[in-house]
Amino acid sequence: MKTKIFTTVFGSALAGLLMLGQANAADLKIGIMVPTTGSEATAGKDMENSIKLAVNEINKAGGVLGMNIVTITGDDGCDPQMATSAASKLVSSDVIGVVGGYCSGATLPTLKIYGDAGTPFVVAAANSTKLIDANPGTSFQINSTGFDQVNTAVKLFQDKGVKKLAIVHQGDGYSEDLAKLTKEKWTAMGHEVVAYEVVNKGEQDQSSLVTKIKSKAPDAVFWTAYYSDGALLIKQLRQAGFRNLIAVGDGSNSPKLLEIAGKAAEGVFCFSNPTAEYLPAAKNYTESYKTSYNQAPDAYGPLAYDGMKLMADAITRAGSTDKAAIVKALKETKEFNGITGAVTFTDKNTLAKSNFVVLVAKGGKWALN
Amino acid sequence: MSTLDIILQQFANGLILGSFYAMVALGYTMVYGIIKLLNFAHGDLYMVGGFVGFLILSAISGLLGESWTTIVCSMVLSMLAVGLLGVIIQRVAYRPMLKAPRLSILITALAVSMILSNGVMTITDGEYLAFNTDLGYEGLDFGNVFISYTQLALVISASLLMVILYFFVNKTLYGKAMRAIAIDQDACKLMGINVNQIIALTFFIGSSLAAAAGVMAGVYYGSLHFSMGFVIGLKAFTAAVIGGIGSIRGAMLGGLLLGLLEAFGTQLPFIGSEWKDVFSFGLLILLLILKPTGILGKTEIERM
Repeated sequence: MKTKIFTTVFGSALAGLLMLGQANAADLKIGIMVPTTGSEATAGKDMENSIKLAVNEINKAGGVLGMNIVTITGDDGCDPQMATSAASKLVSSDVIGVVGGYCSGATLPTLKIYGDAGTPFVVAAANSTKLIDANPGTSFQINSTGFDQVNTAVKLFQDKGVKKLAIVHQGDGYSEDLAKLTKEKWTAMGHEVVAYEVVNKGEQDQSSLVTKIKSKAPDAVFWTAYYSDGALLIKQLRQAGFRNLIAVGDGSNSPKLLEIAGKAAEGVFCFSNPTAEYLPAAKNYTESYKTSYNQAPDAYGPLAYDGMKLMADAITRAGSTDKAAIVKALKETKEFNGITGAVTFTDKNTLAKSNFVVLVAKGGKWALN
Repeated sequence: MSTLDIILQQFANGLILGSFYAMVALGYTMVYGIIKLLNFAHGDLYMVGGFVGFLILSAISGLLGESWTTIVCSMVLSMLAVGLLGVIIQRVAYRPMLKAPRLSILITALAVSMILSNGVMTITDGEYLAFNTDLGYEGLDFGNVFISYTQLALVISASLLMVILYFFVNKTLYGKAMRAIAIDQDACKLMGINVNQIIALTFFIGSSLAAAAGVMAGVYYGSLHFSMGFVIGLKAFTAAVIGGIGSIRGAMLGGLLLGLLEAFGTQLPFIGSEWKDVFSFGLLILLLILKPTGILGKTEIERM
């Protein structure tokens, strides 16, 4: 008897819960795949918050195709295995699209799962170049990849009239890759890389390298590694009387660089992912994020927000909730005006125009160039 | 820049870097000379010296303003503090091990090194500290060769400290006692020399030289990190061995030589700067094969 009562109560409670979770027939289900647990949970949570913020705004403005959007979150834990089960869960809950993807390693195996189901996937933050090759045609990367940073860098050098370039990296995978790609691109454009050098990690004295660089008389020095040793290089270059352009990669995008290098860093350029503080278009987003969550958005929030807005835009343009039609609409995206920049896709579903922003050190602070 | 300019500028770079190496190498060589211990914690004392100097400088520049005087003051105070730390380390960690097998005291030195670097890491949260003293960019300009006043001050103070040390060891009674202990500890005891006191004094001097180099590095390079003692410790050790470990003149020579070698190694045509360490450590290996005692080291009879 007791058991029976329990079962009934429990059963109806469970049914009630299911009812709550059940989407209205006239709702659009969109999946969010981000790490909400584990080491990257902070970034994942920030992306989820930003996506929900976008959904609230869309619903308040009347929804998409007259329907409200509801979201289902799948936790990828920044882990390939967890990500596969999160992706399967989202696919089997019949979402018509997915927005998210923070860790490249965790995002990679899910591309095929979404691809097999024909589900459009807007990859908001993950930007490894490996994702490009693994794309079954249904995912769309709205964060710039390593190639884009190279393009942004090369464009800046060209605009500034640089002819002879010096590149310095630190011998690790990340900075060497960026240095190599830049070198290839720069020489392919018919310009000259006069110095391609390495600084050992943790070595404070770089004066001999500085002399070598100076002796090659480059128009610009590009540091592709991290802020701590980058600050030392900048300082020693300036102390040695190098007055030409200095630029640093996104690994050096830290206020610490400016603190260590002091006034030597004035006028140094830095390439950065579009974070909210440097985006004039993100002002409203930042404010409503702050009112909703009582904290400032993190680095990848704006991209996640744009990802959701883009998805809604594509559904509207497709005019139906058919997944193939949405994929087609996403592919045809033309100059979608997000807060991180305009989105148009290449035939590989990556950004046609890099969203990397160029920052410049002004008065001890990074500011948009 | 003409080739001559480059050679002169790299020579200056090498001398500046070499004075850092020499100052740290002196501590290695003095301690090795007196108790035959490779003090692996020495590089970390350099790092601690930098941090202590930073603390003192931030404290007194609030009162007196930032100037060369306050920098020198904080350097001297940091030398005293880290010198004392060296004596404490010697008393607590090394003295009880003096009669133990060599390997035990070597491992103790490694432990001290880890305690120091991890201790500072915990205190600073592993963050880089900006040591931002604004010393300006003025200096001596010989056309394309440029030496800033900061660099000049560094080399001068390093040379001054080394000259003082040289006279202390060779011309004073304490120095004589140090040299005597290096030759035969037991005989020294019999002659009425307070061996423990002299060993403590050696640690004090060696550690304070490392601290001086640490403060100079902080002021010159502008940043401090708990791991900054590692690379320089390794290089200074190399310098000490190249010059002949145990020899004070050898440490100075080895330091300058290593600095110059790295500077010119970076500049070599056709190969990149990633090869410069290959030259320094290649020289070390070559020297260990051809003249294991180092350039100025003396062959000595091994007492087992």
